[in-house]
Amino acid sequence: MATMIPSIGEKRGKQIVYTIEECLGCGEKNKRTFTVGDYVFKQNGQCKKCSGNILITMIYAEPIKPTQ
Amino acid sequence: MLPLQLGPGQFGDNTLYLLLFYLPFLLFLFYGQRIQAFMILGEVSRALGKLKIMREKSRKEVIDYLVNHLKPKSDPQEQVDQLLEYFTIMPVDLDPSGIVRKIEHVVTVRNDRIRSEIRRLAPETDLVKVSTAENILEAASSINYIYKLVRHFYLLGKRTSNIYILVQLQMIMPMILQEADALVNALEAFKLSQPIGDGIGPMVVGRMMLNHEKMDISKDTVMVKSEYKDRNLYLIKAVGPGGNVGEPGTAVERLISELGVKINSIIMIDAALKLEGEKTGEVAEGVGAAIGGIGVDRFKIEEVATKMNIPLYAVVIKQSLIDAISVMRKEIAEAAEKVTKIVYRLVEEKTQPNDNVLIVGVGNTLGVAQ
Ligand SMILES: [Zn+2]
Repeated sequence: MATMIPSIGEKRGKQIVYTIEECLGCGEKNKRTFTVGDYVFKQNGQCKKCSGNILITMIYAEPIKPTQ
Repeated sequence: MLPLQLGPGQFGDNTLYLLLFYLPFLLFLFYGQRIQAFMILGEVSRALGKLKIMREKSRKEVIDYLVNHLKPKSDPQEQVDQLLEYFTIMPVDLDPSGIVRKIEHVVTVRNDRIRSEIRRLAPETDLVKVSTAENILEAASSINYIYKLVRHFYLLGKRTSNIYILVQLQMIMPMILQEADALVNALEAFKLSQPIGDGIGPMVVGRMMLNHEKMDISKDTVMVKSEYKDRNLYLIKAVGPGGNVGEPGTAVERLISELGVKINSIIMIDAALKLEGEKTGEVAEGVGAAIGGIGVDRFKIEEVATKMNIPLYAVVIKQSLIDAISVMRKEIAEAAEKVTKIVYRLVEEKTQPNDNVLIVGVGNTLGVAQ
């Protein structure tokens, strides 16, 4: 029964997809919105602070928070 | 006589009132089922309308992607319609011995055929775009199939006035709609090449693979040899960032049987469908071959592991169906670190120095490189 009917999940509302970049030199993290062409573990330029290589480490979606 | 008691006296012996009072009962007694059928028919027909819209939308997405990204020389509409109707006849299971090889054969032929059809549309396109088109096409043909199946039972129930067919359809309709919705959601992720929830396994292994030399081990599948605390790690995942699942079963089989590497432990990382109430991104450990799909890869891995007496450890990341095929959720992406720690801990606890450990990241590697 359990294997037959897994959780389909709640309907997803509007979401924003973010790209998380990380500098391999100083470990500085940067969160920005996703742009086409991004993929996880893409070498994406150089760090402004330490000129180390920047790597995209995560791409994920977050629901848009209702504005207060 | 009690004041509320109903009877002729209450209505002043008026037969018209009497008739009006009993008429609904008689109506429901004799026509109740028909009325119910009529209402169910309306409900199912509305749901069917929704499915039809989803089908049209997904078909349009396929055509748009092909036109915008693969730039075919001719109009792809006709070919897309043909591909959406593409079917696969599974091997007969009357004599099940050796059926997995037959299934594998049929599925391989199917996948090759679809890939070559897309290639034919746009000969000089890169692999990532072709695999993305394959993914979009697959989701669209699933929606197409769901629509046609629901339509079949709807028309069958209507034509034969069979309320039991309609009732069954009505009962499962919410789940069908949710599943179709999940597929439409998946299209969004596919066309932008964003990682999906199912890609968490490849993401964990892809990180371990960084800065190592990659070698092809089976179709759309890469392997890396690295080291961790005096153990040799053999890492396997599908080739990213295209939307591949690769052939991990063949890869494991080839590594152990053909290349003759003596593996001491296999660790598999995969997304697992959660039960209602479980938290998204929850990590669980277990044993066995953690791999979904039609069963060919799982069969191969189980077979070689049994033959060589290799323990199989599984680490899974829980998620719902919709999360598994839509853009990866934050909870899932953030579970990667925890999974990596668990994998390294397993390596330390379950193996000795100089052991060979095989780590397989299972899932669709869309938007995840290595
Ligand atoms: Zn830096």
